Amino acid sequence: MFLSVGVRFEANVEALNMVETAGNYGKHRRVPYLVEEDGRLKTVYVPAMSGESLAHAYQEHLVNEALSADLPVCDDCWRMEFYKSMNKVHLKKKVDPIPDDPKKIEEAIVKACVVEDVGGFLYAEKPPVRRSSAFQVSYALPVKSVALFATSEPQLHARHAQMDASSKKGNASEQMIYYVETGTALYGFTFNLDLDAVGVSAITSKPILDENEIKKRREASLKALFRMLSSGQFGAKLSRFFPVGGITELVVSVTEHPFVVTSPIYDDYLEKTQRRLKVLESFGEEYLFTAATGEKVPEEALKEAIDYLHEKGAF
Amino acid sequence: MKVKLRPTGVIALRALPQSKMRTALRYVPPTTLIGAIAYPLLHISGDRRETIYERKTFKSKAESAMGLFKWTTIKTESKPKLYGSLLKINTIYQREKKVQSAVTSFPFAVLYGESSNSLTVVYLIDEEALSESTYSTKDLERAAWGITRLGSRESVVSAEDVNRGKAKIQEVNEAKTKYAFPFKGVDIRGKGTLQTVVDWRSGIGDYSNARRIVMFYPEGRVEVQGKLSIAELDGEVIILAS
Ligand SMILES: [Zn+2]
Repeated sequence: MFLSVGVRFEANVEALNMVETAGNYGKHRRVPYLVEEDGRLKTVYVPAMSGESLAHAYQEHLVNEALSADLPVCDDCWRMEFYKSMNKVHLKKKVDPIPDDPKKIEEAIVKACVVEDVGGFLYAEKPPVRRSSAFQVSYALPVKSVALFATSEPQLHARHAQMDASSKKGNASEQMIYYVETGTALYGFTFNLDLDAVGVSAITSKPILDENEIKKRREASLKALFRMLSSGQFGAKLSRFFPVGGITELVVSVTEHPFVVTSPIYDDYLEKTQRRLKVLESFGEEYLFTAATGEKVPEEALKEAIDYLHEKGAF
Repeated sequence: MKVKLRPTGVIALRALPQSKMRTALRYVPPTTLIGAIAYPLLHISGDRRETIYERKTFKSKAESAMGLFKWTTIKTESKPKLYGSLLKINTIYQREKKVQSAVTSFPFAVLYGESSNSLTVVYLIDEEALSESTYSTKDLERAAWGITRLGSRESVVSAEDVNRGKAKIQEVNEAKTKYAFPFKGVDIRGKGTLQTVVDWRSGIGDYSNARRIVMFYPEGRVEVQGKLSIAELDGEVIILAS
């Protein structure tokens, strides 16, 4: 079973994805948006969030869901440091001595850690062992039709230090000024989850875990996504720059084989997704489509997807 | 088979996967197109294998789908912009109390703007190879609807339309095309970009010793002269690799 979710969310005055600090200036991630003006291409930079940033947040939620379901998470991932068994040092924590057989390496990693089972890993030694991520996330970009209204603005902040005359040395400043660039936009992104990949070897195509464990891991990976969306816990600087806004629209499709909803950065994404799904009927494929665009709230649409998957025996 | 794809804005294609040089490809190479359809195709057959180990060598399972196609190419509607924001990396050496910093960037191709930015992929299916395989035409068509990404896991795309038809291969001396083609023994009139890519026939997965070919990615329609093999698909022409 394959799940694809399209999300539109409004985020005002957010600092969810910062890329660099130059001196006292914290810069928001931006991407070029190409506009045609008098037959010439012009570039406007709009705020964005990388798929990597959203993927990191998802994996943090996955750690929590896995732990609360009593599923294994390795020490690195448990600390939210997703090294993913990248080398001998990290792999040794899971299996020591390290086997020569790539199959045994994969088995050891998948058994030891839900995050690496679902999120994939790359053991870059000899032999290299890779496992593609079962989930995929696009960049979160401003919805096209209103992209030009998206802004990123530096906000001035001051940090104060209390000092009396005696402790004041030289030019030590009592006040430090810094800027945080905040973004404001209606964003859209796509998230896919291939539930059939969970617990199954990418080398032999055979299950590594027993059926029951696989079902529990699938459920945890879904819950992690739903928790992330409904709590709005993704991106950085949430303690002081928690964005004003929330999910405005959400569509979910569940299909037997891979299928991606049309990106919500396009205004026609809802109709397009529905029409494309209709085509799957000619392949004799059953599917679920649900949307939270009007009366339905995102949680209700997500619950429908869970119920459908449950009914289909995915977990 | 013609597949129309819509990007989700960003396509991250590492030019040299095994190198520290962080360059990105502006256009999608044939190997990526094969990989893109191999994933849903293998899903349909219930095969989850990604890497095949043969003694000391290893290759991508996507290679098993390679033989089903005579050629694959892509039409890129508007010119993608290569973009990588600068990142400053600070390294602090605690013992020496030294700080070192470096600037780097992870570029990617941006297909995001006012225009439609659609990508059209053509897969020229080898009917004979297909009939000898375990797949049916229907499987290939369903797989095309299931293309999820081009390259990295962030480069999510959706398949918006899939069309299938018969294409006749002809030998000609002149053709007009919007699709990418190998830049070899041809004269071109029109704008476009040259890009060196891995020759798809030398395999998928391990590119350290792979043969490279130079592809020409047109900007709009271009006129090509030379000894060409072409295929026509509802009014559009693609030039095949020799
Ligand atoms: Zn782990």
